[in-house]
Amino acid sequence: MAYPAYSTDNTFFVESDETSQRMTMRDAAKMLARNKQEMIANELSRLACDEYLEDIMQHMRHMEDETLPDANLIDMQREIQWFMRPYLIDFLIEAHSAFSLLPETLFLTVNLLDRYCSKRVVYKQHYQLVGCAALLIAAKYGDKKDRVPQINELNNMCCGLYDAGMFTQMEMHVLNTLDWNIGHPTVDFFTQLVVAEERDSREVEHMAAYICEVALYHRDFVSTKPSVMARASLALARAILGKPEVNDGEWDHSDNVTLLTLSQHLHQPSVTLARKYSSQYYSRVSSKLADFLAQQAAIARRGAPPSPPSEPTLSNKATDVYSTPHKGLGAVPGVADGYMTPPITPDGTCFGQNNAMVKDYQAPPRCPVTPTPQSSHAPSYLSRTFRINNSI
Amino acid sequence: MDGKRHAASFQQLEKLGEGTYATVFKGRNRQTGELVALKEIHLDSEEGTPSTAIREISLMKELKHENIVALHDVIHTENKLMLVFEYMDGDLKKYMDTQGERGALKPPVIKSFMYQLLKGIDFCHKNRVLHRDLKPQNLLINSKGQLKLGDFGLARAFGIPVNTFSNEVVTLWYRAPDVLLGSRTCFLAGPVSWHYNEDQIIRIFRIMGTPTERTWPGLTQFPEYKTTWQMYATQPLSSILPQIDALGIDLLQRMLQLRPELRISAAEALTHQWFSDLMVGQPGPKQHPQHLQAQQMMHPHGVIKQTVPSQGNYGGY
Repeated sequence: MAYPAYSTDNTFFVESDETSQRMTMRDAAKMLARNKQEMIANELSRLACDEYLEDIMQHMRHMEDETLPDANLIDMQREIQWFMRPYLIDFLIEAHSAFSLLPETLFLTVNLLDRYCSKRVVYKQHYQLVGCAALLIAAKYGDKKDRVPQINELNNMCCGLYDAGMFTQMEMHVLNTLDWNIGHPTVDFFTQLVVAEERDSREVEHMAAYICEVALYHRDFVSTKPSVMARASLALARAILGKPEVNDGEWDHSDNVTLLTLSQHLHQPSVTLARKYSSQYYSRVSSKLADFLAQQAAIARRGAPPSPPSEPTLSNKATDVYSTPHKGLGAVPGVADGYMTPPITPDGTCFGQNNAMVKDYQAPPRCPVTPTPQSSHAPSYLSRTFRINNSI
Repeated sequence: MDGKRHAASFQQLEKLGEGTYATVFKGRNRQTGELVALKEIHLDSEEGTPSTAIREISLMKELKHENIVALHDVIHTENKLMLVFEYMDGDLKKYMDTQGERGALKPPVIKSFMYQLLKGIDFCHKNRVLHRDLKPQNLLINSKGQLKLGDFGLARAFGIPVNTFSNEVVTLWYRAPDVLLGSRTCFLAGPVSWHYNEDQIIRIFRIMGTPTERTWPGLTQFPEYKTTWQMYATQPLSSILPQIDALGIDLLQRMLQLRPELRISAAEALTHQWFSDLMVGQPGPKQHPQHLQAQQMMHPHGVIKQTVPSQGNYGGY
């Protein structure tokens, strides 16, 4: 498909509904023709959309504000702690991939989860259940009916931790708590807009998506507006891939802050996430990012700039990261020096109050399944059974 | 939303219709006496809340407009969900059957309904919602001559660029030709005004003429393109609809364009000259002309004197 072909991806996800049957030469030609036709159609669609774009954007900005989770309120949860989050996000990313759901469904899931956790006290044994309910709602909202997870499948993934009835109960509870306001504009709504406008490559798009999913793991971005996240992740992705920067005039201070914070969180991506983005379908962006960071670290060692030794610095390509957002940049300390970590956040405390989370997050080997008494080690992981609660 | 009202706050009156996943009853608010439509959705213990309900409720909460049926409340009981809608007397299908002359409505009524329909669609599109099931049964009419879009069970929020979900749209009869031809891109200007199913593509061609690669570049690359199509000449719409004036025909022509990129959008259509007499004396052309106009128009003609029989099975909520 001409446009970021998420919904018909056939390489990353096992399931394939179309291409596998179309193998003959004639069909292949037809496919090509169809792709061409779709490219024309997409271009026309873009033109047609221009008429409505302004109104839609106004509505999206309104919805964005309406549906922003509040990380400060989640801080007040007594049982669930931020260090638990990466386990749940890993689980959700695995489940999301296993069901071949649309990319936006993942972001919507996490948004619903965080909004719920901003409003209700969640017991830690229910954290995964809330995640499942959020996934269920997000899939029902956006995905095709035959892709929506069955409750017994979700139940299996949770190792039968919950009664089947608890999923529907929690689903209704989440819906009522959120007052049925599900229409959150996800980060990829905004990403798609920018990508179409700037004609970014698929690789940049994938890198940005990877960065956005890395952000899902961290408290710092829970209350970041998706539109800001979209711009910041794309700017960072372009810089990492050595693509020219883009001046779209919309860049502002919060974009800067988000970009800087994002750049600090790229070093230890979740193994689950890195594996997802190591596929050809996603342009192998996780290894490209790892290579980039290694290269930066090497340069840092050689050049030994006055920076915390553990942190790689940015240079050449990477300086684009900071020069991308054109004006107003001088205000950000450390920019001119090209350090990955701005001096304001000294080594070790750059993760703020999330040290616990980070520590846990780095613990090797990090497979999303924390070992459980009965289903230990790899097999449980491979069979996609997860048990979060016991382990936390 | 929940907690404020209970199912018991409403007196259930006669059944208005039955859909695949819901039953609609007429109801009365016991406190205010206000009439409502109660859409009862059965909750399956296996699948939980139906996706149609999730989409319908969340989208309708975003769509507050005088030409979109208002969702007042969602009430959840142990095994069902009750959606409380504003009451409408009937739907366009019924209205045409009972008030029209062999289905045909009087030109001023057509103009009023068209305007209100386009206002409702335009509002949906401005809020990035595609209804995807527009048909007479889902256009609700009340005794004031107001027309409102109902049944958002198949509606969807779309992204920009609009992408790849048109094939799951259910009601074939109202698919746009480009959708019938297998285009997976939805056009905003698109599914406004078409009425057909797979065979219907031929019906479309009988009136609009069979397109060719010359009249529609890229046509032969559509997945559903067939070389076996019978070639039809384009019929003048004025001969099919002699009661519509030239301006009306012009608008219809623009709305029925086979090629989506040539098709007029709802926003554009609202500014068409055909509607200029609806906007006379209004402060702003896009304010609220249709109510007043509808009333002025309806009553002299006596079109909506009798209420639509409510025993029918309109499932337009």
